[in-house]
Amino acid sequence: MAQRLDLLDPAEVARLGGIEIVAEGVVEGFLAGVHRSPFRGFSVEFTEHRAYQAGDELRYLDWRILGRSDRLFVKQFEEETNLRAMILLDASRSMAWQGTPERLTKRAYADRLAAALALILLRQRDATGLVTFDERVRQVIPARVKAGQWTRIVRGLLETPDGQGTAAHAALQRLTALLARRGMVVLVSDLLFDRELALVALRYLRHRGHQVIVFHLMDPAEVRLSGPPEVRFRDPESSVSVVVRPRELARAYADTVQREIAAWRKACRRHGISYHHVQTDMPFGLALRLLT
Amino acid sequence: MSFLHPLALLGLAAAAIPALLHLLQRRVPPELDFPPVRYLSAAERESARRLKLRHLLLLVLRTALIVVIVLAAARPLIPLRGGGAHQPTAVVIILDNSPSAGAVVSGGSVLDRLRVAARSSVARATSGDRVWLMLCDGVLRAGTREALLAIIDSTHAGWQRLDLVDAVGGAARTVDAQPLPGREVHVLSDLQRTALASGHADVPRGVHILALEPGSTVTNRGIASVTVSEGAAVIELSGSTAAGGDLPQPVPVTIRIGGGARRDRGEIAARGLATPGGGGGGSTRSAVTVSLPVQSLAPGWWLGEAALEPDELRADDRRPFAWRVAPAAGVTATPGAGAFVAAALAVLQEGRRVIEGRDVVISGGEAAPPTAPHAILQPPADPALVGQANRALATRGVPWHWGQVGTPGNIAVPQLPALDGTPVARRYRLQGASDEVLATVNDEPWLVRSGNVVLLGSRLDTAWTALPTAPGFVPFIDALVNRIVVGEAAVNSAEGAPRVEFRTRGTDTVGATVFGPDPRESDLTPATPALVTAALGGRDRVEVLSANALSAERFAGTRRADASAILLVLALLLAAIELAVATRTR
Repeated sequence: MAQRLDLLDPAEVARLGGIEIVAEGVVEGFLAGVHRSPFRGFSVEFTEHRAYQAGDELRYLDWRILGRSDRLFVKQFEEETNLRAMILLDASRSMAWQGTPERLTKRAYADRLAAALALILLRQRDATGLVTFDERVRQVIPARVKAGQWTRIVRGLLETPDGQGTAAHAALQRLTALLARRGMVVLVSDLLFDRELALVALRYLRHRGHQVIVFHLMDPAEVRLSGPPEVRFRDPESSVSVVVRPRELARAYADTVQREIAAWRKACRRHGISYHHVQTDMPFGLALRLLT
Repeated sequence: MSFLHPLALLGLAAAAIPALLHLLQRRVPPELDFPPVRYLSAAERESARRLKLRHLLLLVLRTALIVVIVLAAARPLIPLRGGGAHQPTAVVIILDNSPSAGAVVSGGSVLDRLRVAARSSVARATSGDRVWLMLCDGVLRAGTREALLAIIDSTHAGWQRLDLVDAVGGAARTVDAQPLPGREVHVLSDLQRTALASGHADVPRGVHILALEPGSTVTNRGIASVTVSEGAAVIELSGSTAAGGDLPQPVPVTIRIGGGARRDRGEIAARGLATPGGGGGGSTRSAVTVSLPVQSLAPGWWLGEAALEPDELRADDRRPFAWRVAPAAGVTATPGAGAFVAAALAVLQEGRRVIEGRDVVISGGEAAPPTAPHAILQPPADPALVGQANRALATRGVPWHWGQVGTPGNIAVPQLPALDGTPVARRYRLQGASDEVLATVNDEPWLVRSGNVVLLGSRLDTAWTALPTAPGFVPFIDALVNRIVVGEAAVNSAEGAPRVEFRTRGTDTVGATVFGPDPRESDLTPATPALVTAALGGRDRVEVLSANALSAERFAGTRRADASAILLVLALLLAAIELAVATRTR
């Protein structure tokens, strides 16, 4: 029995191929496991009539015209969505970090998660776009539903290099101007920036009527401190460093991390923002299922 | 505290290792990227105080752990009051078996009590110790433990007095010369007050004097001396009275006379009653004069023994004595001998102490007849004749001669106490090389004997000396002609088992020595602890202890216990605490 890729270890799945292959495999598995659309608000819109041709489904016959003019016309619909999803992906330097070589970097995990999410949305004919940013906005792929949009999104992910520092609040404020129409905003980030300033931008999006979803990515090594007996840890973004003994600071650090997660969760809930904490060893399918 | 392996203490330098490691590790920690440094900083800020305390505690624990392990490796020896092994010790055990140790106190012999303590001291000694045993003879005996125990077991009360001050001083010097960590002197004695009266012992620093406390005072009376003169025996008694005891009562004394050189004389007994007198401080002294029976006035050597009723100390209850009744000497005084000599001889002739004869010739500077067996020579009155007199002496083979005029002074003559201190205004120095000096003036010979010739430094005339007017002049002439010139010595006394030994010259008996215990042994009054402490070295070196306390303090100065086991347990405890603190993450 073939295993579902969405439930495998992300690092193992990533070894199967590029982002497209991984995302498609994950989405296939994910969609096979769900019984209804994970997202609501989809519909189709009537566009025109055409003459009935043999083979057309009878259910699309316009019975009203048939009764009035006794001519067979079938209704044609243009699929449309009322959802515009924009995936905001943090491409800062801190995202290019992995606790161990066996795991994906946060950025690699985020890329694959974003690609899979975009594929799901696009398959549901939702206009989906992508914005990558670090201290500034790097890539903007407007939300579209047309064919090839996913490829553009994947290319956008691939073409976005690892950035430097994260001035997320500035980038997010700039993004608010790009997201004029209401929709869904999915932020995928390690949230290693000033929480209050970031929340200002997120609150603004929420005020504009956006549905905001936050994926807080963390490497397991960022949750449980470990390392040599004594080590100088350096922030790759700010170059700030601190000498610690991981073993003796582990508990205090874990408490601090849990408090930070709890603070993010509480702040997001207060403002109607969906918050999801995801570790990079979590199977993609489980991460996606957080949205259902 | 001392150590069995002191070189291991060099390892204490390792105590710096934790601090050094701490510093070295802090210097070059590995550097790693870690994005959530902000969380680390926050956690460290919150834990900074706790972590500093923890680091300090760990540093102290690890340093202490190393120190404790190094100390354990050095095998520390800590002082111990009871039990435990002691370091090698040089010890002299003074077992005072002097006559007084034979006293019976509370139904037991004092010596038995001392012997038990001595056995205990020897038994506690180890192979690393050097042990000597000193008895009342003052001789240091070394040997194996078994040999010393055998000596102790076979020891009986002796007849020699032990001067504890001298004994302790000598013992202290002996142990002080030993290169051993411990130095002790165990004084096992009845601590008679009289045994500590000769001053203060010189005890080197570091020598520990442990004295067994004395028992209670007992009443005792002993015969200190017996002297015979002019037909009577003077018996002196000495002793002690128990504190709070009854007043001294008159003491019956019995003397028995007989035996000696002439066994055919039979035995004569006489009795007297000694009236007690106070000696002060618990000691008693008294004397009784017993007239000798007329049978004992016949010429010859006589032996006798004075005896008391038995009491707690038997050794001094009897004392032998001897005296000689000399036959009257035939004496002739030359005209130059002087009027005083002639007068004295006349008195002696009346008393039948001398007779007319030429056994002894007393001259006044002129040459004595060479046929005279014995001669008593005075210097000539005329200084011009001194040379002639000296030539006569040389002709006779006398190695002495009269020299220059000496300075005035007093006569020092131990054998004739009645004349001791008599002034001499004029004298010649007697110069010679040998022979007996019987009296001195200003430490220069005044009365000497060479063979059968006696020389005087002064004429027996009041212009030369006050001797002719002294009460003892006639007895002096008596002793001179009857005893001194014929070479007889006085009856001497000496320490030893009660007996009389005669000294002979050829076939003649020329003297006797009466042996007996030292009269001071009869005074059983013990010294106070303060006196013991002061006499035997001072408060910082002397302890007067009961038998139990002595058992505990014996070798206590060097008694040590190996504390390494305790330290190892402590090290384990420290290691456990260190492990707990080090692994505790909160």
